[in-house]
Amino acid sequence: MALLLDIYGLLSVIVHGLLLTAQSLTLGGIAFLALVAQPLAADLGEAGARTVARCRRLLRWSAAAVILVVAVNVAAESLVLADTVDISLAESATAAFALAGYAQIVAAALILLLLLSSRASARAGRAGLGLAGLALLAAATATSHAVAQLDNRAVLSVCTALHRLCAGSWIGGIPYFLIALAVCRSQGQWRRIGKRFSLLSMASVSAIAVTGVVMSLFYIGSLEALYGTAYGVMVITKSLLFLGLLGLGAMNFRVVERLRVDPAAPVLRLRRFAEVEVGVGIAVLFIAASITSLPPAVYLTNDRVTLADYAQRLSPRWPSFSTPAQASLALAQLQGQLDAEAAQGAPAVSAYVPGAGQPPPRNAANIAWSEYNHHWAGAFVLIMALLALADRNGTTRLGRSWPLLFAPFAAFLAYRDLVEGGLEDDIGFFALLRDPEIVQHLFFYALMAAFGIFEWGVRAGRLQAPRAALVFPLLTATAAAALLTHSHSIANVKDLLLMEVTHVPLALLGITFGWARWLELRLVPAEGAIAGQVWRVCFVLVGILLVLYREI
Amino acid sequence: MSPWRLEFLARGPARRLAAAFVLVLYPAAQAAAHALVVESTPAPNATVGGRELDLRVRFSDRIDKKRSKLGLASAAGQAYPIQVLDVERADTLAGHVAGLPAGAYRLQWQVLAVDGHITRGEIPFTVTAP
Repeated sequence: MALLLDIYGLLSVIVHGLLLTAQSLTLGGIAFLALVAQPLAADLGEAGARTVARCRRLLRWSAAAVILVVAVNVAAESLVLADTVDISLAESATAAFALAGYAQIVAAALILLLLLSSRASARAGRAGLGLAGLALLAAATATSHAVAQLDNRAVLSVCTALHRLCAGSWIGGIPYFLIALAVCRSQGQWRRIGKRFSLLSMASVSAIAVTGVVMSLFYIGSLEALYGTAYGVMVITKSLLFLGLLGLGAMNFRVVERLRVDPAAPVLRLRRFAEVEVGVGIAVLFIAASITSLPPAVYLTNDRVTLADYAQRLSPRWPSFSTPAQASLALAQLQGQLDAEAAQGAPAVSAYVPGAGQPPPRNAANIAWSEYNHHWAGAFVLIMALLALADRNGTTRLGRSWPLLFAPFAAFLAYRDLVEGGLEDDIGFFALLRDPEIVQHLFFYALMAAFGIFEWGVRAGRLQAPRAALVFPLLTATAAAALLTHSHSIANVKDLLLMEVTHVPLALLGITFGWARWLELRLVPAEGAIAGQVWRVCFVLVGILLVLYREI
Repeated sequence: MSPWRLEFLARGPARRLAAAFVLVLYPAAQAAAHALVVESTPAPNATVGGRELDLRVRFSDRIDKKRSKLGLASAAGQAYPIQVLDVERADTLAGHVAGLPAGAYRLQWQVLAVDGHITRGEIPFTVTAP
C-alpha cells in the first residue's frame, strides 16, 4: 500500500486540475446561457431553443462534475488531516477547506436543481443560476492562495474571484460556443452568436490580464522571482499559452467580422479553432492547478535561479554521444563503498531503497547518463521528424512508417532508466517499481510505444475509423501538458528548477505539435496544410532541443 | 517513507484501505508544497544550550493552529512532549519543551494552511549541555 502513495503523487495535481476545469465549465455555462444563448434564443428560432437545451445539458454535467470532484477532494483531505494530526474525522471535516467544499457542493447542487426544474428558463430561474454561480465562485475562492495571506487578503480575494470568473466565462464558455456553432445553420445565426461570444471573451480576457498582473505583483513581486522560481516559471508558461489562446481567439474574431460581409467566410475554421482553444484552455487550467500547489515566489528568497545560471545552462553544446560506465553512477559507487564497509563488519546497508521517500544519490556520471539519454532521444525524434517532413503527402512507405520508431525509442529509454535505477546493482525490477519517478517514466514509455504503433496503423491504413487519426495528436498534446506538471526527484532546488525549465519549451512545442496536427486533420486540406507545416517544424525543433540538452 | 506515514498505514484494515485510497490522491505534505517556514527558533542547524527550550515557527501563510502540530524527536527517534503555547500571530506555532539531554534533534512541523494545503517539514538543530 505504501508504494502507491509515492507512485501516484501526481494525481493530486490532476484532481485540482479537474476541479478547476469543472468549475470553469459551470461558470462558463451560466455566463454563456445568460449573456449569449438565452438573449438570442427568440431571434434564432428553433436553433436558438436547441442551443439553449443543449447548453443546459452540458451545464448539468458540469455541475455534477463539480459535486463529484469536490466531494472526493474534501473526503481525501479530511482523512489525511485526521490521520496525520491525530484529530477526529469530525474535527478535520469541519476545517475551513471542508466547509468551503460543502458550500461548493450546495451551490453546484442548486444549479443542478434549477436546471432540472421546469421554471428554470424563467427570469427567476436565470437569476437563481447567476446567484448560485456566484456562490460557487465565492466558495472556490475560499480555498485559494488569497485567503491564506497575512496581508492584502481582500484585494487578492477579489482578484482571484474575478480571474476565475473570467477564465470560466471565456475558456469554460468555449464548449458552449461550439455547441451553438454546431446547432446553428445560417451565416446570420453564426455571426450573431460569434459576435456576442467575442464581446464576452474580450471583456473576460481584459479582466484576466489585469487581475493576473495584480496577483503577480503580490505573489511574485520582482523580476528575479519571476524567472528564478518554479512558481514564476509556471506563471510565464501559463501566460505564453494564454497568448496562444488570444491569437486563436483573434483569428476567430476576424472570421466573425467577415461573416457580416462575406457569406462564404470559413465557419469550419471558426469551429476547429474553438476546438483547439478548448484543449489549450484545459492545459492552462491544469497549469493553474499546478501553480496552486507551489508556494508563491515572493516567499522563496533562497535558491533562486539567476540569469547567469540560465545563460550557462542554455548555451548550446554539441553532444558527445558517449555514456559513462554504469559502475561510475552514484548508486553503484555508494553501494560498492557500503559493501566494502560491510565486509569489515559494518551492518549491510542498501545504498538506495526505492519508494523510501529519499531521492536516489546522483553524481556527475548520472548527469552525463541523463544527457546521453536525452541526446539519443533527440536523434530518434530528428529521424522521425525528417521522415515526416519528407513524407508530406503520406505517399512513401518509409515516410508513413516513422511512428514505428517510437517503440525502439521507448524501449531504449526504459532500459536506461532501469539500469540507472539499480537494475544491475541487485535491485530487482519489481523493487524498482517502488520508485515513483521510474514508474511514471515507464508508464509514459509504454504509452509512447503503444501510440506510436497505433499512429502507424492509422497512417498505413490498417485503422480506418474516422476518429482514429485524432487519437495521436490528442495524446501528444495531453502528454506535453502533463510534462509541465511532472517533477523530478532531485534534492537541489536550483538544479531541479533548471531541469524543469529546460522541459518547458519541449512541453510548449509538444502542445503546439498536437493541436497543429489536429487542425491539419480537421480543417479543409488547403488550410490544414499550413497546420501540417507547423507540427512538422515543432517536431524538428523538439529533436534539436533534445540533441542539445544539457544538465550541467 | 516518513514515520508518520508508516504509522498511518499500520492501522486497522478498513481504515488502511481508505487511507491508501486517500494517499494515492494526496501525498499530503510534499517538501515543495505550500506554507513555507519564514523563520524559526531554533534556526535550522543552530546550536542551543540548556535543557529547556522555547520553540517557535513562523510560516508564510495563515494557518489553522487547531489542526497543525509541532513535534520534537532526538536523532535516535525518541519523541519529546511539547507544551503548546498560545501566540497571537495567525502564522506562528509555538511551544515549550523541558528535560532535553545534549544531542541532535529534529523539530517536526505539520501545518494546515487556511486555504486547505497541508505541509510538513523538519528543522534540525543541536542542544549542548548548559
